[in-house]
Amino acid sequence: MNPDDLRFEGTEDYYLDPELGTIVNIALQMEKPLLLTGEAGTGKTCLALEVAKSLSMDTEVLRCKSTIKGEESCYTQDTVLRLNDARFGSGETGRDVQNFYDYVVWGPIGRAFRADKKVVLLLDEVDKTESDVQDNLLDILEDCEFTIREINTIIKADIRPAIFLTSNAKRELSDPFLRRCYCHHIAFPDQDQMREIIRLHYPDTSAKLMEAAVHIFYELRERGYEKPPATSELLNWIGALERTGAIPDPKDPPLMGVLLKRASDIQAYRGGDSGPKRFM
Amino acid sequence: MSAAAQDEKAYNALFVNFVYLLRDYGVPAGPKDILDMNRGFEKGFVRSLDELFVFLRLTFVRRVEHMDSFERAFALYFYDIDIPPVEEGDLALLRTKQFQDWLNRAIEAGDLPARAKWDMKPEELMKKFWERLKEQTKEHHGGNKWIGTKGNSPFGHSGNAEGGVRVGGGPGNGSALKVIGDRRYVSYSHDNTLRSDNLRQALDSMKHLKKAGAETDLDLHETIRRTSRNGGEIELVFKKELRDKMKIVLLIDNGGYSMTPYVDITRLLFSKLHDRFDEIKTYYFHNTIYDKVYIDQRRIRAYNIDKLLQQREDTRIVILGDATMAPEELASAYGSISGFELDDARPSLHWLNLIAKRFEHSVWLNPISKQRWTGNYGAWTLKQIKGIFHMEDMTLGGIKGMVEHLSDFTGKE
Repeated sequence: MNPDDLRFEGTEDYYLDPELGTIVNIALQMEKPLLLTGEAGTGKTCLALEVAKSLSMDTEVLRCKSTIKGEESCYTQDTVLRLNDARFGSGETGRDVQNFYDYVVWGPIGRAFRADKKVVLLLDEVDKTESDVQDNLLDILEDCEFTIREINTIIKADIRPAIFLTSNAKRELSDPFLRRCYCHHIAFPDQDQMREIIRLHYPDTSAKLMEAAVHIFYELRERGYEKPPATSELLNWIGALERTGAIPDPKDPPLMGVLLKRASDIQAYRGGDSGPKRFM
Repeated sequence: MSAAAQDEKAYNALFVNFVYLLRDYGVPAGPKDILDMNRGFEKGFVRSLDELFVFLRLTFVRRVEHMDSFERAFALYFYDIDIPPVEEGDLALLRTKQFQDWLNRAIEAGDLPARAKWDMKPEELMKKFWERLKEQTKEHHGGNKWIGTKGNSPFGHSGNAEGGVRVGGGPGNGSALKVIGDRRYVSYSHDNTLRSDNLRQALDSMKHLKKAGAETDLDLHETIRRTSRNGGEIELVFKKELRDKMKIVLLIDNGGYSMTPYVDITRLLFSKLHDRFDEIKTYYFHNTIYDKVYIDQRRIRAYNIDKLLQQREDTRIVILGDATMAPEELASAYGSISGFELDDARPSLHWLNLIAKRFEHSVWLNPISKQRWTGNYGAWTLKQIKGIFHMEDMTLGGIKGMVEHLSDFTGKE
């Protein structure tokens, strides 16, 4: 598929902010990795999956951890298995100890580069990785190729995958890394956008319930809790409210445990703490 | 040369000026970005000013803290609206050039009474300023006219953007300026001082002071070595990766009134992170450090610096103070304004040097913003201390700079 023809217009499950739509399409056409940052619950990960869905592409997801070294996201060599086969024989498995590739396990990046059609490659929470891992990754992503060290062979993508990265900005990403990406910070949805999102998920919710819930939700977020409620909590809450059938009373909203997760936040809420905690 | 080619030339030159403006605004744009920008123009998907806004932002802005600067530069260059780099409600507005210019122009134009500077309250003037600015960003919104008012705008710069900038194509829906007018990113701006509502962001950037690693790793070389030694009988060897927990010593100047607002927020900042650190110790001092600091806020129970110097050398030291005082407090042997009991008193500089020398990762956090580090009362002592310690101010940018300095793990792999 020619990258110029790819256009993402949102899907029925995902509210696409027009600005974000433009950004995604620019990134697709420029074939540049798109790094999405923003608070939890702004739909960063979702976006990549929805792009894949709407353009009917396969997805490869690398969920980053602080322990990954980068190489295993491309490939790993099952040394133990090979040792075992060398010692005890590979038997009926069809593996050949002499054949290196029989013991290679491809990681998400490896699979994305070797795919025979364009796929979406999502590197989720890339900020969790160590900075030297990021440096390794950036060359890999820029050139869409990596080297298998053991046999000094380069694996190069014939078709560049559409690359999405997400970051919770837990850690600063290095400048060289950022230079190679398009970066976009997804702001938390405003009230109108939030209503759109709710309508997508709960098309039958009464306007009255939605207004009350949205109002309480944004009021709670203003109070400066340690973990302010995010979109997914609001959606769960509305789901729960629908089941009870009650319109939440702003003075004493029910089921607060769905919205507030931290013990200290719940205590602050129960304590009738009306304003944000002040430090100055 | 065809007319189109000529047009293109003029077009590129224009944007190069915009790139320089971005650099003036502190957005680190480079030549590679300009090439990228041109590659994008060649693809032809930029058809309106709104798309141009999004595309240029993607091309030049990597960090959310530069977002507001970009938006202000864009507003100035393409709309001739000069937005001050402060948030609504921030008193710092009164010192900005944009506010001063607007005030003078508004008085000249008769929008404000001639004696407005004296007769009106600053709060009132500030409110007026933001109201006018908002009208301005709305005026453009939805209209077909994106070109600045050629110097007539009350917020114009009447220099840079004069003559207007024309961008070909359809008008789009004019939302770029509305987006800019919303100032969604101003609170992320690096110059923003630390407050309770952006504390979370600072906390997040601090969470990674500690290096975490997998505790078990297959030691391939050792495995193969032992396996061959066993005559092929496989022996798996795992190695442990070292975990490193950090120790932090926080030294707080709680003497001057200038420090009071920052003591709590700093302590909170660090105490929130207790799971990341082995331990955090807080000591207090007044203005500068001599041979001892104090365990309690009232500075009665002393803790000798000699003892502090015996701590592990990878202990992180964070000193919080405004570093401004009378020169003799810092440089004279008997400078301490409270201690006069010592026979072999040494100047504070001596002690500060000892601390800096012992602890490689030490940072001085200064509540005075970077721009005011020179030319103020106490600039001399500040400069001296800055020569000894890595100094940062108490802005988001400063906290990040501090984290970077504290987490430098050279040789600690």
